[in-house]
Amino acid sequence: MTNDRVIISTSNTLEAIGLRDVLNTVFGIATHIAGNDFFINFSQATEPGLFFIDIETLMANLSFFLPRKNKTIVVTIGNKDVEDIQTLNINASENDIINRLNHILEVAKKDEKSNEALSSREIEVLRLIASGKINKEIALELNISINTVLTHRKNITSKLGIKSVSGLTFYAMMNGII
Amino acid sequence: MTLINSDSKLSDIIYKDPSTITVLDRFGISLGVGDDTVELSCSKHGINEKFFTTILNTFINENYFPQLVLEQFSVNEIVDYLNKTNSYYEHNIIPNIERHFNFLIARAPSHNNNLVLMQQFFNEMKTELMERINDDRQRWFPEICNNDNSVDRTVETASHDNETANDSIEDKIDDLINMLIVHLKGDYDHNLGYAVIVAILALKKDIKQNNRIRNRILKPISLSINTQHD
Repeated sequence: MTNDRVIISTSNTLEAIGLRDVLNTVFGIATHIAGNDFFINFSQATEPGLFFIDIETLMANLSFFLPRKNKTIVVTIGNKDVEDIQTLNINASENDIINRLNHILEVAKKDEKSNEALSSREIEVLRLIASGKINKEIALELNISINTVLTHRKNITSKLGIKSVSGLTFYAMMNGII
Repeated sequence: MTLINSDSKLSDIIYKDPSTITVLDRFGISLGVGDDTVELSCSKHGINEKFFTTILNTFINENYFPQLVLEQFSVNEIVDYLNKTNSYYEHNIIPNIERHFNFLIARAPSHNNNLVLMQQFFNEMKTELMERINDDRQRWFPEICNNDNSVDRTVETASHDNETANDSIEDKIDDLINMLIVHLKGDYDHNLGYAVIVAILALKKDIKQNNRIRNRILKPISLSINTQHD
């Protein structure tokens, strides 16, 4: 997350306090509870990293949350689907809630990286992947460690959304990289 | 999510998710379903109703996979369904994508080599899928069916890790869709571009269900055959 600040806004106060406590003590994340007016008087300068809200807050502020879908989590009672927005079922065991939060924070981290252009180093790695080189050969050729190659590969896949070697090869051909 | 049961009307199922037409086809049911319920249609066509509803439910609901129920069906029944699924890929959906792709390329300006490269990538995926289908027919399915009687299916075998294992065909289909949606460049016939994407998305949905049945039901059986023979 570019900004660690987490905002919780639900009509159930105890639910909000409980969630803030878990995020604070288990994950060490600064968390604030906000009322509905927060989204009306919102200033972009202090854009939070994540929002935990209930379905009512979502519906009341759709134009605010839809562009921020990737960092919005709807707190639900029981397993419910809310369109393509992530949910947190609070009617679950402590372990389940913490596991789910772990997953949510992991996804939030990943989202930061996507939608960027490839760096020049990544283009170099992509060119070598497309010419059929394996990780060891790429590491040797660029004089970097295999782990660094793996990190570059992970970032290339996350930026382009292409997983297979042949997919990457065709992408490289389409874009004149090889 | 809506689950299908014996009282569900076939017409309602199709209205809700038209891609089920291709699944009904594998059970010998064609359009013109009238007012028939699942129960009636199964008895007309001599289909195991429980197997039919389970397959349809896993097809419609991505998150629904009743492992224990599926494990109760006979291996022959499952293999027969997967064989028909393979034939559907081979004779319907793959030729369909090819046809659309050929038109798309024929109508595109000659300087657009993007589409030609994507078709080559599609062909690579197709070759892999066809190899898998041939292996299913000639080796894997017969091996499982011939040995089924000798296998104690209550034995805990393969872990369920298989379902998360990367499937290279599924990955390639995902990549192809991503390349068309995100990375396509140049001029092309929009209508035909849409046709190609829709056909590939249909294949993706089908392969996903197919792989879940292969990996979570058939693979453990096949592994237990190999373990017992070792």
